[in-house]
Amino acid sequence: MDKIKKRLIFLISFLVWLNFNNYVIAQKTQIKGFANVNAFVQDGKLNFGIGEQDLFITSELNDDFSFLGETVFKYSPNSPTHFNVSIERIIINYNFKGNHSLLIGKHHTPINYWNDTYHHGRVFFPTIDRPLLFAAGAIPIHTTGIAVQGLNLGKLKFGYNVMIGNGLGSYEVMDNDKYKSVTAAVHIKPHDRFQIGASFYNDIISEGAEVNGRVIDEKVNQQLYTATIAHFGKKFELLTEGTFASNRANSTGMVHSFLSYLYAGYRLKEKWVPYIRMDYLKYQEEEFYYEKDDTTSFLAGLRYEISYLIVVKMEYQYIDREESGQTSLFNTQIAIGF
Amino acid sequence: MKYMKLMIYNFVFGLSLLVSGALSAQDLELTVIGNPQSVPSEMNMNQLQSVLKGEKFRWDDGSPVRIALMKTNTPIGTTTCNKIYNMTGNELNKYFLALVFQGKVKAPTFFNSVSELESYVAQTPGAIGVLQNSTDDQIKIILVDGKKQI
Repeated sequence: MDKIKKRLIFLISFLVWLNFNNYVIAQKTQIKGFANVNAFVQDGKLNFGIGEQDLFITSELNDDFSFLGETVFKYSPNSPTHFNVSIERIIINYNFKGNHSLLIGKHHTPINYWNDTYHHGRVFFPTIDRPLLFAAGAIPIHTTGIAVQGLNLGKLKFGYNVMIGNGLGSYEVMDNDKYKSVTAAVHIKPHDRFQIGASFYNDIISEGAEVNGRVIDEKVNQQLYTATIAHFGKKFELLTEGTFASNRANSTGMVHSFLSYLYAGYRLKEKWVPYIRMDYLKYQEEEFYYEKDDTTSFLAGLRYEISYLIVVKMEYQYIDREESGQTSLFNTQIAIGF
Repeated sequence: MKYMKLMIYNFVFGLSLLVSGALSAQDLELTVIGNPQSVPSEMNMNQLQSVLKGEKFRWDDGSPVRIALMKTNTPIGTTTCNKIYNMTGNELNKYFLALVFQGKVKAPTFFNSVSELESYVAQTPGAIGVLQNSTDDQIKIILVDGKKQI
């Protein structure tokens, strides 16, 4: 009896496996991943650290609909397991006509080239980490909402993305207030490997909302204006972006900040790219929404691309902050795709 | 002396193999094929490059564009990278991985064998592929700049 039972279980398992495989193939589902390990010298000691492990899934549901999901596992000191799982993107894409699509879900806000291009795949980053304007909380990295997107339109390969979302301070599953964020981004690609873009972001952040771990104590009206130039040629690489931020509250009025970076690299050989990056964050004296900390940073590094799935980077970074003074950091990273 | 001659012979033979291999990868003539449904019979090189880079999502009749390529480590794949994409195989793989990761293109399907590629293009509406030559009647050969081979 046991023998028959075992055979039956085996047969059912096999059929389920077979059916699952067919289902996956028919849908054309792909799972990819990215991970990185760092070694850095700080405060006179050598440290090793693991980075994020990023799982990335795409699936074609039919000719019109597709799915994209990105889930990150990362170190989190406050978690009981010291690790957190975070859903970075869940996008259902409806390609309704030609190169025009409707996207719904949790997105990386298409506010600048870096955020819209590299996401969490460190193997794609031209430098070890993101520019400092990301860590400063200057831009809304994620937006949960709906977007209309067009790509590669006409001779200039014009692209647009208009997104309406819950906005800053909202939760993953619902909005915290009645205000919606609006992002409008456009770009052109007049030449191969060259892109110019601009974007506008508008949001109202309610009193009591929690943004980047800080509670906002007064309603803020925020506008962000961003410009981008990106060129990743066979030899020369250039990426520069600047965001002009306006934050207005009743008690302080309008204040402005300017946050930017410039990256340049030159491919010496097929696999070797020395590069530099400069970051510049300048806040108005009365800035109340961002943590005011004028920062200048200079970074020089070398990237060794073993293949498109294995990249090693070595960097020296010097940072001069208004609040915490000057620091320097030697950092090495191996980033992989799998 | 005998060994010396043998070594020279081996060296010359090896060199000729290397040279002929390199030449054959570069000199391969490519043929662009398409599913008879949806894919146009003729296009210019710029249009072909744009389509194969994933910049066009749908054909004029609304069918989705499906890109079929030989793997970049095959001679046809290497030649396709050089002649059509102006990239190395490594660059092409990175290009598509990055765009798929951004959600901006559908991943091409890469094949190990020409017969698999031909069969995919023949059976998939909207499919376009690149190979050396094709004798399959179910497949449309696409003229590029008025030529059958590029």
